[in-house]
Amino acid sequence: MTVDVLVVGGGSAGLAAAVTAARQGGAVALVERHGVLGGMGTASLVHSFCGLYRLGRDQPELANPGMPGEIEQRMRRRSGIDPVRMGKVWVLPQHPVDFVRIADELVEESGVETRYHSELIGIERRGAGWLAELVCRGRREAVAAAALVDASGDAVVADLLGAESKLSEPARLQRPAYVFGVNGVAGELPPLVIGAAIVAGVREGDLPEAARGLHFRTSGRPGEVFGTLDLSGEEAGAGYDPTDPRCLAALEGRGREVAERVTAFLRERQEGWAAAYISHWPMRAGVRESRRWLGRAVLSGAELMAGARHDDDIAAVSWPMEFRETPRGPKLRFPESGRVAGIPFAALTPRAGGGLFVAGRCLSCDHDAQASIRVMGTCFATGQAAGLAAARAAAGEDPAATPAALAAAFGPVPGLAD
Amino acid sequence: MDPACDADGIVAMLRDEGIVELPADFPADGDLFAAGMDSMAVMQLIVVVEEHHGVALGPAEATRESLGTPARLAATIRARQ
Ligand SMILES: Cc1cc2nc3c(=O)[nH]c(=O)nc-3n(C[C@H](O)[C@H](O)[C@H](O)COP(=O)(O)OP(=O)(O)OC[C@H]3O[C@@H](n4cnc5c(N)ncnc54)[C@H](O)[C@@H]3O)c2cc1C
Repeated sequence: MTVDVLVVGGGSAGLAAAVTAARQGGAVALVERHGVLGGMGTASLVHSFCGLYRLGRDQPELANPGMPGEIEQRMRRRSGIDPVRMGKVWVLPQHPVDFVRIADELVEESGVETRYHSELIGIERRGAGWLAELVCRGRREAVAAAALVDASGDAVVADLLGAESKLSEPARLQRPAYVFGVNGVAGELPPLVIGAAIVAGVREGDLPEAARGLHFRTSGRPGEVFGTLDLSGEEAGAGYDPTDPRCLAALEGRGREVAERVTAFLRERQEGWAAAYISHWPMRAGVRESRRWLGRAVLSGAELMAGARHDDDIAAVSWPMEFRETPRGPKLRFPESGRVAGIPFAALTPRAGGGLFVAGRCLSCDHDAQASIRVMGTCFATGQAAGLAAARAAAGEDPAATPAALAAAFGPVPGLAD
Repeated sequence: MDPACDADGIVAMLRDEGIVELPADFPADGDLFAAGMDSMAVMQLIVVVEEHHGVALGPAEATRESLGTPARLAATIRARQ
């Protein structure tokens, strides 16, 4: 197969990249390991869109133009649920079942060629473009592409190319979590009471210590809640490594074990839970941070704190730095002056050049900045920018003019208006 | 164990243990939930209260009425001491 743009990974960033690139008119292929798009937002059951809205506003105002708002509208139409304020920030509850269908519609309408159940296993330069090797069920397929977007979440392309990337040291990596669905819950969900019941269960020896990393939220559908179990990452022993299959296997196994024990415990103890049962497991445990690219610019947490702006900004930061370095809940860091930073195009641009761009949680940034830019609302925006850049590079246009082309196509960035 | 259980002591404990980020002069009747305390933080809070004050708060006390402000939390703990 020969295409103009190949997008690696169909999470929130890859979806936005592929759809944006396809709308420019070229041939676009999207390779995805699973049989659904949405990445963590579907396969790992992460169930709210953070980073859609501007920080520090009384009303939910979109931070970035184009794809984030389009997906927001489609989700609200399907779910009937409005944005909610959680402390100082606005989030949009999203249902993974809806997100899968929204992604189906977007790729269908825009003419993206999806390569599901396929894994990128090799990449090399070929002339001015790239030659990718995919494998599906043992069958290999070569894909020639003029431009490439790495939206793999794991900076897979960097690793395959031997390009510069970084994995934070095990102790600092944001902790993983296991999200699962429960049905048959009657009445209102009292999260505080359930939390206290779990702590009591641990105290009395009925539940493992790890159960203290679990909290529940309603899904917005009758009788359904999601449980999110924050894990230590050390379920297989010291040294969390989200690229190590032994470590990943331990997350999956331990996640399911604790989820099942707590659900059984609450069935016995908690009002409204007598008929509750686990109705869905995720396709994969949730990984918040893994390998990051180190590109032409490396967006830093210090820049986010200072509200730094760059000449080549393509999106506004739209979430505080959310640190999850322990399995005991988030620590949020907001920009000092209230002014948010911009995300420069150079952080989407690996040094390798040649029509290669990166988006989503593995774009070029440090550990601290990743704690903000990983959220899905921001991934839609960085994906859109990378997709437009790739389409332009494939068409022989100067990718360096991408920031201006984005503004021409989608208008100014509201989040950077102040 | 720290027997001094008033609103100031509670604010200091919440700050020291990193349960919710509060200014040192957070008022005794300030809303802890509005300040960012969520259900995960309440789970930690229960553990920390047990360590500091020897009181094991249970599901019945896990309400905004019982733990929503430093003053109410202090009163809830004292009532159980
Ligand atoms: C537990 C948890 C809770 C979170 N909570 C929130 C939240 O409330 N709100 C929010 O907005 N964000 C949240 N996040 C963060 C957010 O979900 C992710 O950072 C975001 O979805 C990342 O999107 P992405 O497209 O960059 O990567 P991913 O979603 O990881 O997508 C990458 C995709 O690439 C595919 N892929 C990777 N390598 C290959 C390959 N070699 N070949 C083929 N396909 C490949 C993967 O299968 C995957 O579908 C949370 C994350 C976790 C783990």
